Amino acid sequence: MKRKILIVEDDCTIRTQLKNLLTGNGYEAEAVTDFTDTVRIVKEYAPHLVLLDIKLPGNSGFEICSQIRIFSDMPIIFVTGSNTDMDELCSIMLGGDAFITKPYNTAILLAKIASLLKRAYASGQGEVFTWKGAVLHLESSLIENEGQKAELTKNEVKILYYLFKNAGKICSRNDIVDFLWDNQLYVDDNALSVNVARIREKLAGIGLTDFIKTKHRQGYTL
Amino acid sequence: MSGRQYLKNQLPVLLINLFGMLGLALFLMACGNSIQSILLILWVWLLVFILYKGTVYFKRKKHLNRLLSMAEGLKERYLLPEIMEEPERAEEQVYYQLLKMAEKSMLEKTGGIEREKKEYQEYIEQWLHEIKTPITAMKLLCENNRCELTRDMLAELENISRFTWQALYYARSGQTEKDYFIREIRLEEIVHGAIADNKYLLRRNQVAVTVEGTKESVYTDEKWVRFILNQIIGNAVKYRSGQPALRFFAARKDNRVLLSVKDNGMGISQSDLPRIFDKGFTGQNGRAVSNSTGIGLYLCRRLCDRLGIGLWAGSEGEGTGMELMLSFPVNDFVTGVQG
Repeated sequence: MKRKILIVEDDCTIRTQLKNLLTGNGYEAEAVTDFTDTVRIVKEYAPHLVLLDIKLPGNSGFEICSQIRIFSDMPIIFVTGSNTDMDELCSIMLGGDAFITKPYNTAILLAKIASLLKRAYASGQGEVFTWKGAVLHLESSLIENEGQKAELTKNEVKILYYLFKNAGKICSRNDIVDFLWDNQLYVDDNALSVNVARIREKLAGIGLTDFIKTKHRQGYTL
Repeated sequence: MSGRQYLKNQLPVLLINLFGMLGLALFLMACGNSIQSILLILWVWLLVFILYKGTVYFKRKKHLNRLLSMAEGLKERYLLPEIMEEPERAEEQVYYQLLKMAEKSMLEKTGGIEREKKEYQEYIEQWLHEIKTPITAMKLLCENNRCELTRDMLAELENISRFTWQALYYARSGQTEKDYFIREIRLEEIVHGAIADNKYLLRRNQVAVTVEGTKESVYTDEKWVRFILNQIIGNAVKYRSGQPALRFFAARKDNRVLLSVKDNGMGISQSDLPRIFDKGFTGQNGRAVSNSTGIGLYLCRRLCDRLGIGLWAGSEGEGTGMELMLSFPVNDFVTGVQG
């Protein structure tokens, strides 16, 4: 089930781009365009999480937040340009779950969203990905094929996670390194090659040969 | 009040008195008085004159000295007419009036300048907040359309962000004490945040980043420490060497948490080292790299002083890289209260 996220933001470009970003990352996103009755829209759309700007035409984000809190305790992330500590304090007092200042880092924003959603709506099952018979267990850092298992290092899990998530598509080396950096693993291009070579070795050990294919000058694909 | 100058000013009075004494002596002589009695009368005159002038001199001197010390003890000297008592002598009253006039025009002028300064500062702050919206929009646009071009643009956007923060802190520096939000935060979070802020810049310049031992928690304001780290990262990239590397390393030492940020860039000569936190100082490296302003580290030092963070810089000389060390106090009081 896709998680629904509501964007309350008055800048048009940010609104559409944020929507694209969230949709591209597997969420269902909707944006408020009419700010006269934001709370009603929140009630009707019933999102899992709200991204709320503070400076809005009409009611401020603070007012909207306290009104939402009357009927729901869904995660609310304040996303704002002003970064005085008064605002940060207000956002916490009124029941905001996180406070992110512009210009924000999309990786950090996405990580915050994911962790808040995970905390609020615990799914119970550990995250597992499957592709062509191979099963990737994220929590235990294992890859499984026909009963055979191989242990993976932190870097290897993240690389495989990215490939499994984009299975079937070509993942450029640059994008993979970007993703690793977003996960606080600061590897360079050479280290990526080394890691992929090691993953291939491990995969071959459990009977998966030629599982990761190299697309010349483009990247890797499953 | 100088005694000699006073004497000089009283010369006409003295001369008139001497003239009067001479006239009286001649008149008394013509009337047939004896020399002794004339001399006695003249002595008495002289004595009274000197006594009078002496008393007046010391009294005035005392009064004026009091005013002088009053003015010296005053921080805003132009406010002197507000605290001195209104003089009674006609002449002094005119001077008092003049002082009042000077004070008034001064107050009007400083008031005007202060108002202008405040308005300007408010405008700058507002502008800086507004510029963040287009920066964010552009960042999202680039992130959603990743390619070589947008990667380069993202790196430049990171530079723009850093400069914006710099200006924001500079504009606010008069009143930053209003803008702290001290809470417990893992050092790791701040360091990774700062690296994320400069991801594309670091990647474009192929900087090898390592982070070690940053599990410690500190009590501080996250955004300002991140600002400091951003400045340091910006410098490390600016003064990089052939194969740049940047290492963050944290450790607990007694009741402080030390965070060291070490690069392998151009380093700094021993003669320049003591002055790198000075405003506008760019040194030899600044001349070698074109766009040095000498503002970044100066702001870091000021911010660290306000946040109670120790800040040191070390370098073993040119070409050996540079190390900046931040030292966070671990407050026993806070941990004590939390039990």
